Amino acid sequence: MDQEEHSLQAPEQLYPNQKYPVEGQVFKSLIEASLTWLRTNQQAINVLNVFPVPDGDTGTNMVLTMQAAWDEISHSAERNVGRLTHMVAHGALMGARGNSGVILSQLWRGFARSLDNHEILDGPLLVNALHQGRNTAYKGVVRPVEGTILTVAKDITAEAESSLAITSDPYELLERIVNAADISVQQTPELLAVLKEAGVVDAGGKGLFIILEGMLRFVKGLPLDVANASVQPLASMKLENTLERMEPGQDFEVIVDFHPNEQLNIPQVYEDLQHMGTSIQLGEGDGIYRMHIHVPADKLYEPIQYTNSLGVVTKAAIENLRAQLEKVEHEAGSTIQFSPVEPGQIASIAVAPGPGIARVFASLGVSAIVEGGQTMNPSTQEILNAFENLPTDQIVILPNNKNIILSAQAAAQLTVKHVTVIPTSSVPQGMAAMMRLIPTGKAEEVLAEMTAAINDIETGEITTATRSVQIDGVNVKEGQLICLLNGKLVLSANNLKDATLGLLKKAHADHFELITLFYGTDVTRMEVDDIADSIRKKFPEQEIEVQDGGQPHYQFIISVE
Amino acid sequence: MTNENTPLGRVTISPRAIATIAYQAARQSYGVVGLTSKNLVEGITQVIVKDPTHGIEVKYDEENISIDIYVIIEYGTRIKSVASSVSNTVKFNVEKALGMPVNQVNVHVRGLRVSDTD
Repeated sequence: MDQEEHSLQAPEQLYPNQKYPVEGQVFKSLIEASLTWLRTNQQAINVLNVFPVPDGDTGTNMVLTMQAAWDEISHSAERNVGRLTHMVAHGALMGARGNSGVILSQLWRGFARSLDNHEILDGPLLVNALHQGRNTAYKGVVRPVEGTILTVAKDITAEAESSLAITSDPYELLERIVNAADISVQQTPELLAVLKEAGVVDAGGKGLFIILEGMLRFVKGLPLDVANASVQPLASMKLENTLERMEPGQDFEVIVDFHPNEQLNIPQVYEDLQHMGTSIQLGEGDGIYRMHIHVPADKLYEPIQYTNSLGVVTKAAIENLRAQLEKVEHEAGSTIQFSPVEPGQIASIAVAPGPGIARVFASLGVSAIVEGGQTMNPSTQEILNAFENLPTDQIVILPNNKNIILSAQAAAQLTVKHVTVIPTSSVPQGMAAMMRLIPTGKAEEVLAEMTAAINDIETGEITTATRSVQIDGVNVKEGQLICLLNGKLVLSANNLKDATLGLLKKAHADHFELITLFYGTDVTRMEVDDIADSIRKKFPEQEIEVQDGGQPHYQFIISVE
Repeated sequence: MTNENTPLGRVTISPRAIATIAYQAARQSYGVVGLTSKNLVEGITQVIVKDPTHGIEVKYDEENISIDIYVIIEYGTRIKSVASSVSNTVKFNVEKALGMPVNQVNVHVRGLRVSDTD
């Protein structure tokens, strides 16, 4: 049956998207809407996460799981809803992350199995599919903990089953299901003590509600990119977050306590506040409201004036986030800003032996840095930690040292993400590879480009010999400087200038365009400037750049390109 | 025994006590449908005695606690994700109860239970 035939006989329409029978492509739109809405509310779900482990990643895990489901169908023209849901289930299974993600994938699995090969999802089929989804999900655990996503799945199934007597329209059922999910989520603290203690609802349950609500919002034609207005108990407001990644327009944090004159229109308040800033939170306790917002400098007083117009302000606090962030970064010994990454994009992780080199990598667009290099190899776990919480599944690791390639590969084995280790054995190689990263590009092509780029660059390293040795015909005495070109010993020298110039000559620097010196902690800027001048004289055609690499042991890491 | 000295004396926590906490946490983990013994002979004796530490092995030396868990997982779930959830949950619960760091949680997937085939 084709779609036109159906739309002709559509009953009275309440909402813009309610007229279509739920065939494959309509269901595809519903999935896309639920993913978008889930992503919009991802942070709000993350802060709820206290059970089973309070690691604040439920929202992210559910987004990644739904993202995998969406990736499976995004290019599909499948009209058969049964077959499409099988693809969704397959994607969700392959991409399932975390506890909630696994449970979500099981819900989809049961859902899809029940729909089997049906072309169109009608009311009775929907109810049956929910029923099967719930059953499959409950089979996966010996002692189900109530007050979780499982409970919400159970409650919505019960609601759907009893609603079938009233309506068999899938859209009307969806509306009832969403309401039931909302109520069920609000009940979770009554069933699970840890939630009640923390003053939150269950994160996974909330995530399931958001997924369903996203579908309903699509049906109603409501926007999916502006987060839900919500008021949380004062006790659960987490205000000390969001610092690690500051976005433009978040210069000041403003927190105002106020007594409203009359009942607040929460969605309206949120909407008004959204014109002023971001990271909006609203808390309530004993009639006092607390508003939290990040605003740009020019709108600093607007939230205070605004809340003053709503009622009596009892307390207002302003904090300069920029100054605070700079302080935090200063204490950490660096001012590194990483590139934010979106689900589905390629994120890169670089191992850097010094803060200066880390900063250069950050400016090239890496999403995280792992400290490490010669004699300080990072553990597999450290590498894993660096990317495990990034909100994307595509990860590239640049180990930048041949001793670290193995731990990077081990880390790649330990995760469900798609991790590729580009075998960069030096910092310059890592940088050359980074230049070719296109986060939104096709993974295979980008990775091939990055890998190929390694060979476009010559790496020089200068360090002090720790023992006397003869390798490859080069005699080295302990304490002398040794020069490595692309990892091979080529020269020994008694002073840094001779070493550097000799190394550049061996590297045929005169055939290249750019020479970059990263100087380490063992040399002073004055020495470096002196050497850079000598290089300029010797290689007048080449551009010379000097960077504070901050690496230990190596006086210089040099890239020639 | 895991020891801790207090002004009044010593508190010792047996590996078996730790195993009980781990057992409870593992059984509540989503995707885990059973715990099983490391080897068959032990498995047979375990059937007779319902043991609250079945399928859990706790090793410790001085300050290191390492826990091995032998699980059966529901067929059709993403095993890697389930296993990593189990180890996180067990680590968190044991650490919460003991106030001591757990260095290692190894999850051994001993089998899958098939309740449905797709």
